[in-house]
Amino acid sequence: MSRAKLDALGLNLPLLPTTTVGSFPKPDYLKQARTRYALGEIDRQELRALEEQATTFWIETQEELGLDVLVDGEMYRGDMVAYFAETLEGFTLGGLVRSYGNRYYKKPIITGPVRWPGPVTVEWWRFAQERTERPVKGMLTGPYTIMDWSFNEYYPTRADATLALAKEIRKEVEALAEAGAKIIQIDEPALSVRPEELPLASEALELVTRDLSVYFVTHICYGAFEFIYPRMLDLPMDNFDLEMSNSDLDLLELFVRHPFTKDFSFGCLDVHSHKIESPETVTARLKQVLESLSPDQVWVDPDCGLKTRTVEEAVEKLRVMVGQAEALRATLAG
Amino acid sequence: MRLHATSSGSYPRIGDRPEEQVLRKAIAGLDRGEKTEADLEEARRTMVGLAIGEQEAAGLDIVTDGQIGWYDPVSHMTRSVAGVEIGGLLRYFDTNSYFRQPVIVGPIEMEEPRVVQEYRYATGVATKPVKPVLTGAYTLAKLSINRQGVYRDLEALCEAISSVVVAEVAALAEAGAQLIQIDEPCILNHPEELPLVEASLEAARAAAGSAALALYTSFGDATPLLSRLVELPVDVLGLDFTYSPGLIEAIASQGSPKTLGLGLLDARNTKMEEEEEIVALVEGLLPAVATGEAYLNPSTGLEYLPREKARAKCDLIGRICRRLNGGSS
Repeated sequence: MSRAKLDALGLNLPLLPTTTVGSFPKPDYLKQARTRYALGEIDRQELRALEEQATTFWIETQEELGLDVLVDGEMYRGDMVAYFAETLEGFTLGGLVRSYGNRYYKKPIITGPVRWPGPVTVEWWRFAQERTERPVKGMLTGPYTIMDWSFNEYYPTRADATLALAKEIRKEVEALAEAGAKIIQIDEPALSVRPEELPLASEALELVTRDLSVYFVTHICYGAFEFIYPRMLDLPMDNFDLEMSNSDLDLLELFVRHPFTKDFSFGCLDVHSHKIESPETVTARLKQVLESLSPDQVWVDPDCGLKTRTVEEAVEKLRVMVGQAEALRATLAG
Repeated sequence: MRLHATSSGSYPRIGDRPEEQVLRKAIAGLDRGEKTEADLEEARRTMVGLAIGEQEAAGLDIVTDGQIGWYDPVSHMTRSVAGVEIGGLLRYFDTNSYFRQPVIVGPIEMEEPRVVQEYRYATGVATKPVKPVLTGAYTLAKLSINRQGVYRDLEALCEAISSVVVAEVAALAEAGAQLIQIDEPCILNHPEELPLVEASLEAARAAAGSAALALYTSFGDATPLLSRLVELPVDVLGLDFTYSPGLIEAIASQGSPKTLGLGLLDARNTKMEEEEEIVALVEGLLPAVATGEAYLNPSTGLEYLPREKARAKCDLIGRICRRLNGGSS
């Protein structure tokens, strides 16, 4: 079904297309530059030049690795929610809050009506797309997750905040589509946390995606999918990118009980482990997923963004992934 | 005194000021091989000292060590337990924070109580009584992976993990803890499994000696279970009011034979409560509590808030308790 949509959009992708979830590790020079920028030691222009250098590096690296659908790598972003909160009006950046282990982020606070200030990600998408013939995904965070991962001091209810955000994010999606993005990923990692709010998330994503000629992907991770599956298949998305490798693939049991009816990006690398997966491990995981899903439906990627790994770890993990996906593709085609 | 000001467990281990970031830097330094375990312990103790100091300055009557040394509410309790390995990340309820899932790989055997060591350090720093906080056996069992058949079912696993909690409770009572809090957030979404909580609390009760036990629940609506929760073998029942539109009404109409922990201040949102509003709620609830006594605390651990807001919520709790206890505010 979605293959027809991809073809209609002129996206001629092979079986088991390989891609990534969005973020790549920042090279050391960029990390240092971000610190220096925060301290006021370098200006915006100098930082921007290094962000461009790092983005170019990752576009070239993805091409060299043979990935089919590329990302800009988010060299210019800190946290996925804070980034949009810093650009949308209506937010105040709060103090540091712990995410897990030794990782912290500045959790945004909704303190006024949210408003789209004009294109946020379009310029970076264009910068990346100009450097490759392969499709580059537009990358956004969804309204439900931005709401759930922010404190809300302004809107009376969670639903009010979510729908207000959806109307503004819709404008960014339209701007990306107008610039030429044919695949847009809308991350909703918070989606599985309150099963009773799935209808709200769905209503919000409907507002964001309705009547647009775009192949939509959504990334959801570290959640209790058993509570929202199969209902989540009704979300207006073409492709679901779910974290799998971190949880011993137990989602596949759900797919046996109720068939997965959309396209599926299969996270086959554990992004929270330093260990490089062996080719055998990745192939075994891919073969396992193909027992429950058709090769037409399956995309191959890591289970989350790679930004917490080193550059070398990220590249080596992806090299194994692409190699095994290509080998499997050849046997399927043969 | 009929109203006690306290916190519910965790406290931010970081703040925006450089001196509040020593623990983060020590852990990162240890990862890079530039710092030692001793440096890490020193940083941890610094942050415990700050957490206790801020709670005391806010006027809390009973403080916690902020669970500063806990990687997360689940894996920490099983880190020195034989038969358990620490697995992958899973989201902790509907928070945007993550815990590592314990994986049961063999018979569970407690090697050495951990929380009591943290408790001893905290009592040396604090001038107010310290309340140690444990995660209960049922929640630990529920959030663990038990696929290898070591324990035949959840009940058997719960009973085994209960021995870990009991060992901590016994050691804490021995070390002088007067009030020990046990968190069982999972029970709110699985009321049919309440007998498992009851069995593990009975075992803890037997080990607690003269120490009072508090059961705290959070991350869900306690209203449907209220009449059964108040019958459990504990001295204090802690409730999270932020998920429960009907809880205040239910307590007012059913009454509570037990002292309650009133989680009326939202530990998950920076928006500050109105003092008058909380005062009115407490004054409405207290007459329904048979013991005439209650604890006022945040809805759950304060680590979900930035430090300045956690401190502000503690300040508000302290102020309200002084006012309602008849002291000057």
